[in-house]
Amino acid sequence: MTVVSTPAPRLPLRRRSVGPGVSPMLRRLAAERATGVLLRERGSLHLADGQVTYAESPESPGLDVLLATGGVLDTEVWREAVARAGTDGRVGRFLVDSGRVTEGALELCHAAALFDAAYFVLGPSGAPARFRYGAAHWLGPVRPVPVAALERETLRRRELLHRIWPDPATDTAPLVRADRAAEPPVPARQQAVLDQVNGVRTAADISFALGRPAFHTLVELRRLATAGIVTTASQPPRPSRPSRPPQVDPAPEQPPPALEPASALLTQPSADPDVALLRRVRDALEAL
Amino acid sequence: MPGIDECLLEAMRLPGALGAAVVDWTSGLALGTVGDAPGGDHETTAAEAAELARLAAEHRAFAPEAGPDQSGQDPPVEDLIISNVDTYHVLRFVATSFDSSVFLHLWLARSDGNLALARIRLGEMAGRLVLG
Repeated sequence: MTVVSTPAPRLPLRRRSVGPGVSPMLRRLAAERATGVLLRERGSLHLADGQVTYAESPESPGLDVLLATGGVLDTEVWREAVARAGTDGRVGRFLVDSGRVTEGALELCHAAALFDAAYFVLGPSGAPARFRYGAAHWLGPVRPVPVAALERETLRRRELLHRIWPDPATDTAPLVRADRAAEPPVPARQQAVLDQVNGVRTAADISFALGRPAFHTLVELRRLATAGIVTTASQPPRPSRPSRPPQVDPAPEQPPPALEPASALLTQPSADPDVALLRRVRDALEAL
Repeated sequence: MPGIDECLLEAMRLPGALGAAVVDWTSGLALGTVGDAPGGDHETTAAEAAELARLAAEHRAFAPEAGPDQSGQDPPVEDLIISNVDTYHVLRFVATSFDSSVFLHLWLARSDGNLALARIRLGEMAGRLVLG
């Protein structure tokens, strides 16, 4: 039996010295031990005494979604907790003390949601950031994360995705199953993602549907792209790739436009697996 | 009801415990660490242990005979044990009702560690971490 297995890329290690940083403003706020909310193009980071206590982004499921998915906490209970303890900024404490959720479950989901949203919030953006000094987030302290640790982790995550598959198209575009005669078997967690791919849903849609951190979905999708199982729904004509999101790519570069004849040939739909493979190799090279 | 830190401190009370961590194996993120790390760096250790944990969890060869749990929530592997000349590593997968990919990593000195005891206790801690 031939099992096509995707070679596991090494998980990148965090770099000790982070160059210019992902957000100089965030570093200043950490240094002055600021409390309030940092508003960026793709979401917000909540700070208390210069540490990050909560993060949210429209691109990633929030703590409430993660907790609700496994039936740990339904949305009614969540709303009630916010109503009763939100003004004191002690929602997390209230949920644990009233026995709605265990401390461990809250901490695991909180960390998952925080690092997940921060990955998008701290993605490169063109718009200026704003900081609103004020109260800490209503969830209250669960396990605050130092800014330096969050920055390192965000950069490490970018590198991890890039190493699995350098083309960021699957991060944001509607996804489709590649037309393959025989799909190789995939692990259960990838299968759950694959089952959601329907030509319309994006990575974010799938994350919300599964109640899974969005970054985890991005990882699985890049692995599925590497294996040639998932691709973006509408491949734009080469070499113009206008939909390529520069935010997620650590080093955005324009693909060289010199490949026209071979490129045109290769974009023809083909059932030949060799041509499909060549096309994927070319995409990967262009994205490097 | 223990949180991550209480769970890690409890792990450190096991005989021979050198260090412990709670790690997410999809991202390689250390969610909490305590004590020493092999090589001196918890973040590096977490990323490396996560690779190993992911392979064990994903490869069909290590799944139970009866086949993996259809709900997809329970990890197909309970734990991984690695020994070298002077230490043991025990990686215990944490089953959660919410979607997660988390394991406990305990590093033990071989001279005074008790592998059987550590394995049993780590399993109990993994259960209490999410169930209370």
